Amino acid sequence: MTRPNAKEIKAIADVAGMPVSADIAARIADSIGPAFEGFAAVAGTLPFDLEPASFLLVQTAKVSK
Amino acid sequence: MNVHQISTEPALMSLTEVAQAIAQKRLSSREATKSCLDRIAQWQPHLNAFMAIEADTALAAADAADAAVAKGNLRGALHGVPLAHKDMYYDAGRVVTCGSKIRRDFVPTSTSTALQRLKDAGSIRLGSLQMVEFAYGPTGHNAHYGAVHNPFALDHITGGSSSGSGSAVAARLTFAALGSDTGGSIRMPAHFCGVTGLKTTYGRISRAGAMPLSQSLDTVGPLARTAEDCALLLGLMAGADPEDPTAAGGLVPDYMAATRGEIKGLAIGVPTAFYVDDLDPEVARVLDETIATLKREGATIVQVELPDQRQLTAACHLVVSVEAAAFHKRWLIERPQDYGPQVLMRLQNGLAIPGVSYLEAMRWRGAALAAHNAAVAGVDAVIAPGAPVPAPTIAESDVGNSPDADNVIARLTRFTRPTNYLGLPSLSIPSGFTRNGLPVGMQLIGRSFDEAMLLRIGAAFQRATDFHARVPKLA
Repeated sequence: MTRPNAKEIKAIADVAGMPVSADIAARIADSIGPAFEGFAAVAGTLPFDLEPASFLLVQTAKVSK
Repeated sequence: MNVHQISTEPALMSLTEVAQAIAQKRLSSREATKSCLDRIAQWQPHLNAFMAIEADTALAAADAADAAVAKGNLRGALHGVPLAHKDMYYDAGRVVTCGSKIRRDFVPTSTSTALQRLKDAGSIRLGSLQMVEFAYGPTGHNAHYGAVHNPFALDHITGGSSSGSGSAVAARLTFAALGSDTGGSIRMPAHFCGVTGLKTTYGRISRAGAMPLSQSLDTVGPLARTAEDCALLLGLMAGADPEDPTAAGGLVPDYMAATRGEIKGLAIGVPTAFYVDDLDPEVARVLDETIATLKREGATIVQVELPDQRQLTAACHLVVSVEAAAFHKRWLIERPQDYGPQVLMRLQNGLAIPGVSYLEAMRWRGAALAAHNAAVAGVDAVIAPGAPVPAPTIAESDVGNSPDADNVIARLTRFTRPTNYLGLPSLSIPSGFTRNGLPVGMQLIGRSFDEAMLLRIGAAFQRATDFHARVPKLA
């Protein structure tokens, strides 16, 4: 996953109905960059059928030592 | 129980001790409440731990509780016990600020399920506790109401976002307090303030009527003086709730019974990386000493190789950023000037994360939990520090929305966010002190819905040590 740059963030925020200045867009890019980089190895690799509810299935499965 | 403590300062008793003393008529609710109020009057000017102090109504409620005791009418396991909670639990008819300017005058019309269950057990209200604005920050600073101070070193932070809960429990101003944990907000104050804090499994306690920050990660839990106290509170609050479909059903375990178990024969995992990397030397020392104590008490210590925790941290960051921004969007449009600088900055971050990225983070959650479960299959719990450092000073961590803010936040939350993403329970226990007298806490991270195991280990550790019993003193 590529981290969005300030220009892209400004466009995304506009679409979200929350316009931000160029300065704030640059600051946001710096703030969220590490999250995109940390998740990069996972993003785009998940199997087709995986959906968020799979978390509840794993959480409630009986697990013992 | 220490008889001297009952006769001189009941506020120094644990929650379970004071509840038993009131039920057995060895102590009145008024005496317990008055003792807490006396300490609040002494400490509040130094700590800023309380948002509101309701002395008159607390004493009136205490008198009513004592009258009921005289008639043999006990409401429940917390009959007449005075408590105060993080100011984000809706209490019908009372102002709940959520630590914010925006909700300075907000009066809910219903009461949160967790709070109602503690009321039903007979607890009475001392007031409400300070917190980080909208529970979105790990230090304990608050741009509107000021920073909360650490009772063990007044110029140091409490940690957040349950800042008042950590400070007030540590200073013995309340016997216990509700906190909430979305990225470490119970465990960090527990670590920095030297109290016991339980981050529950996602779904263990109803979130109905608790201010939301991130609906996929938010958890309700107690901060108290002992693991036994946390067990008592968890047993009262856990269970299904028609107001919150994510609250798990089924039988609630006997958590108090769990605290009486031994740890001989249990296996405790020590991570080979991440949680042992780049530690402050004093935190590293306390980790080693805690492991040695657990070993001495009969536990087997096992090295565990966990999946990449940085990926879990990143996924947690994506989820909380988007969900928090979505909750706050209306106020971000209408009242951005009414947020503190750091909270506004963090809420704006969520606007820039594409929907597909957020959903990828949500889709991966089950697979990530399964990988974690496989990695810890041979152990009963994993031990890790609550944070890599002891409490920084209020001044050095007052970073607002400066370029340093992200680094400070990331450093403090480094060891807590992975657990939130996986929805796992984690018990933070006081485990030692630095040479300068700052508390250090260790997390015991367990399996989903197996809080009982953590409370068993925590209680055994507290029978072998006295870190949880140390009371801060005003200079």
